[in-house]
This record gives sequence, structure tokens and C-alpha cells, in this order.
Amino acid sequence: MKPLLTIKNLVKVYGKDTRALNGISLDFYPGEFIVVIGPSGAGKSTFIRCINRLVDPSEGAIIFDGQHMEKLSWRKLRKERSKIGMIFQHYNLVGRTNVIKNVLHGQLSNVPLYKSLLGLYRYEDKKEAVELLKKVGLQDQIYKRADELSGGQMQRVGICRAILQRPKLLLADEPIASLDPLSANIVMQQLHTISQEKKLTCIVNLHQVDYAKKYATRIIGIKKGAVVFDGAPSRLTDAMIRDIYEGKESQLKLKGESGMQLAVGQNDE
Amino acid sequence: MNNKTIHKIPLDQRDSKRTFTVVAAIFAMLIFSVVYLKISFIDMFMGLPSFVMFFFEKFFPPNAENLKQYIPSVVDTLGYAVISTYISTIIAFIFGILISENTNKFKTLRVITRGFVSILRNIPFIIWGALLVYIFGIGGIVGVLALILVTIGFLSKSYAESIDEISGDKLEALRANGSSYFQILFHGVIPQFVPAWINWTLFAFEINVRASAVLGLVGAGGIGVLIDTNINLFKYEEAFSIIAVIVMIILLTELVTNSIRKRFV
Repeated sequence: MKPLLTIKNLVKVYGKDTRALNGISLDFYPGEFIVVIGPSGAGKSTFIRCINRLVDPSEGAIIFDGQHMEKLSWRKLRKERSKIGMIFQHYNLVGRTNVIKNVLHGQLSNVPLYKSLLGLYRYEDKKEAVELLKKVGLQDQIYKRADELSGGQMQRVGICRAILQRPKLLLADEPIASLDPLSANIVMQQLHTISQEKKLTCIVNLHQVDYAKKYATRIIGIKKGAVVFDGAPSRLTDAMIRDIYEGKESQLKLKGESGMQLAVGQNDE
Repeated sequence: MNNKTIHKIPLDQRDSKRTFTVVAAIFAMLIFSVVYLKISFIDMFMGLPSFVMFFFEKFFPPNAENLKQYIPSVVDTLGYAVISTYISTIIAFIFGILISENTNKFKTLRVITRGFVSILRNIPFIIWGALLVYIFGIGGIVGVLALILVTIGFLSKSYAESIDEISGDKLEALRANGSSYFQILFHGVIPQFVPAWINWTLFAFEINVRASAVLGLVGAGGIGVLIDTNINLFKYEEAFSIIAVIVMIILLTELVTNSIRKRFV
């Protein structure tokens, strides 16, 4: 199978000699649900942001859907970015704008400015936005302002916004790090369900190893800017996990099962 | 631990001499100014009774006979404030976007705009008024122009600071999904900027009402002209009632802007 995304020898140096990424080479195939784990400061966030060039890489190649992302001009980059959905740790919704408009922001790249200003999105887009919101259990919050929602609800709006782009690739940078265990579980569950339904390729940064094992089809461990593990979740042994988090064991989050059972299967809050 | 060691724990690490030097320097500045300008506090106190006497004798009772005749001037004054706030908010909004790092990545353009705006702001409006009177002659246009220039200076800087405060995080999402610059501006920046925009603009309006009352003193139109003429004609009682009218206008403006603020922000 042809990879959807190929990364070759990716290096990112901040300032003069802070090497966040130290030569990462990976292939990502369609339909994979990849979870990237590693302690904070390992370069997970930089890695995922290099893919859509929110962070410009220092060296290396990022080939997404046949395009060299690192070489693209501004205009072409925008076009490629529209094919990559992204979910953020802090949701990054526009707080004073209502929920459905936030979701429709996912379609901004396909709509000229005057139309988006007048709210003239295509009917199919509006319909899908409503359906997505229903799917994540937010049908009653459609016209609420985004800043009136709880963290878990905001992140579900974030997922809808990313999905409405109809992306080929979905990036999620610590999507549940700011959420309580209950909401974290719902968000992770829905992210997984929706991306399976739409047959999306997902790359998710997490530092909860148990979530990684539960949902991932493939886990990548990053330590000090380099890949130290790449394989199926079943191959990720405890010794390997300890190695990835070596020296930063306190960040190892293995949540108790009790919190998980409480929330599994609940789609509404 | 006995009492002696406790007494030796200092509460401050800093050198107390330094504090003393700073306080002494500030005090020295005052002494120098008083001596240099030959300000006599004794004269000031001695003069106080005669000032109060003068005030009560000449300004009281306020002469409210011509109250109706002030109305056009009051409307003029408010009109200047409205027009100048209106025009400056539009121009300042563009400048604000050009100054903020969030919305303008070109450093040279940022610096140039910032410099230009700071010139506008740092020339007091009364000086703008005095300058413009020489160019345009006495009249309303001078007042409006002077107010516009200073308000642009003030609002551009305030708007830019508020736009800076909108966290880049929120805009990152729109950048990441391929939105254009203007879409990020209109869908990401402006909605978050609205409360600050209302606040600053109302504040500018308050300042402009006050300022346009004063502008008349340099011949730039408005109710200030009336004060100037009446005092020059020694009609103190009438001047006093005009001053009262101005105070009323300003208080009313504050009342109105505050209630707008409560409702919309």
C-alpha cells in the first residue's frame, strides 16, 4: 500500500542548538490510528505541528498525499492544510462565536470570504455540521456560544470542526490532556468512532499509555526527539514504556480502570 | 531558638540605603522645582481667600437667562465628538491591525505605523487645534480634525494591544485548516476583539466630549467658544452657567456610556 504520509529525516532545531526533533523517518498508511507517546519535552508536539507546518521544520521532507509540504508556497500550503484536520489541547474555538459557526470554520478554505461573512455556507455543509453535532451529543448546544461550553463539550466541537473539513488526515495534539477523566474518555471514544466511520488516518499525541493501548492500531514512542518504538500496541511491553519515560516516570499516567468503566459508552453529558 | 536570633532575621534583603537614595532624589526634584520657579506657598495660601471671594462675588449667582441659546453649542460639541469618534474608530481599526503582531507579520510596516500613530498621540489635541486653526481658520472643521488625529493615535494603540491579547492559540486552529488571512481576521480576530472594541471606543467618546468642550478655547468651535467670549466680556455669571452645562453634558455622557457598556460587554 502506498503511504499517505511519508516523513524523511525530520529535524527541528529551535534557536541555535535546541534540537527538538533529531531525524525522524516514518511512513503512515491510510486507515491507521497512530498514537504517539512520550514524556513532555520529547518533541511530540513539534513533530505533529511539522506535518501541517504550523512549525516549519529545519531539515527533512514531509510528503503528504504526493506533495512535499516543506517546499509549498503559501497558497498551495493552504490548500494542502485544508485536507488535514487538527484537534488541539486547548480546543482553540472562537469563544464568542456560536457552536455551529465554529464547526463551519472547518469549511472556510472552500468558501470565499464574502460568503463566509454572510454565513452563506453550502447547504450540505450546514447539514453535515448539524449531523456531526448530533453524533457527539451536542444537538442542544448548536446556538450556544462556544465559551459557554464545558471543556469536554468544546473538544467535541473541535472534533466536529476538524471532521467537517472532510480531511484525509486527522492530527490531534494532546486532545484530552486538559480534560477530566470522564470527559477524556468520551472525547477519545468519539474521536476513535468517528475516524473509524470516515476511514480517516489519525495521528494522536497522548501521554496516557493506557488510552494509547486501547485505541491505537500502531504506537510510536518518541524520546528526546527520536523514535524509540514503532509497532503494534501488543508489542509495547512495560519495559519498553519505562524506557520511553526513563527519567520522567512521574509523567507516566496509567489511569485506574474504575474511571474508565464509568464513562464507556456514554455519549451524552 | 532564643529571642536574640529571631531579632536578627532581616525582613528585607535589599539595601536600605538604596531606598533612602531614591526617596531623597524624588524629594530633591520637588525642592528644585519649587526653588527654580520661585513658587511661594505662602502667597498661594494668602491668595486663597481673595480667590474664593472673587469666585463668589463674580460668578454667583449663575446667570441662566440665556440657557436656551446654549443649546446649539451643546449640540455642536456633542456632534464634534460623535463625528471624530466615528471616523477615528474606522481608521484606528486598520492601524490597530497593522500594529499588532498577531495580524501583521511584516515588522517594518508594524514599526512605521506604530511610529506614525505615536506622533499623532503625543501631540496634545490643544496643540493640534492651535496648529490647525492657522491652516483652516476658526471653525468646526478644525475641532473635528484635531480630535480625529489624537483619537486615531489613542485608539490605534489601544486596539493593537487588545488584538495582541487575543491568544495566538485560538487563531492557530484557523491557520491549520487552510483559512485565508482575511478569514482568520474576520472569523477569528474580530469576534474576540468586539468587547474591547466597544470599551475603548466608548472611552474615546467620553474623552472626545470633554476635549471638544475645551477646543473652543483655541477658536475651534463648540461650547468652549462661549466660555471664552463671556469671560473676555467679564460676564462671569453667564460663564459659570455654561461651565455647569458642560459638567452636565460630561456626566450624562458617562452615564450613557456606562449603561451601554453594561449591556453589551
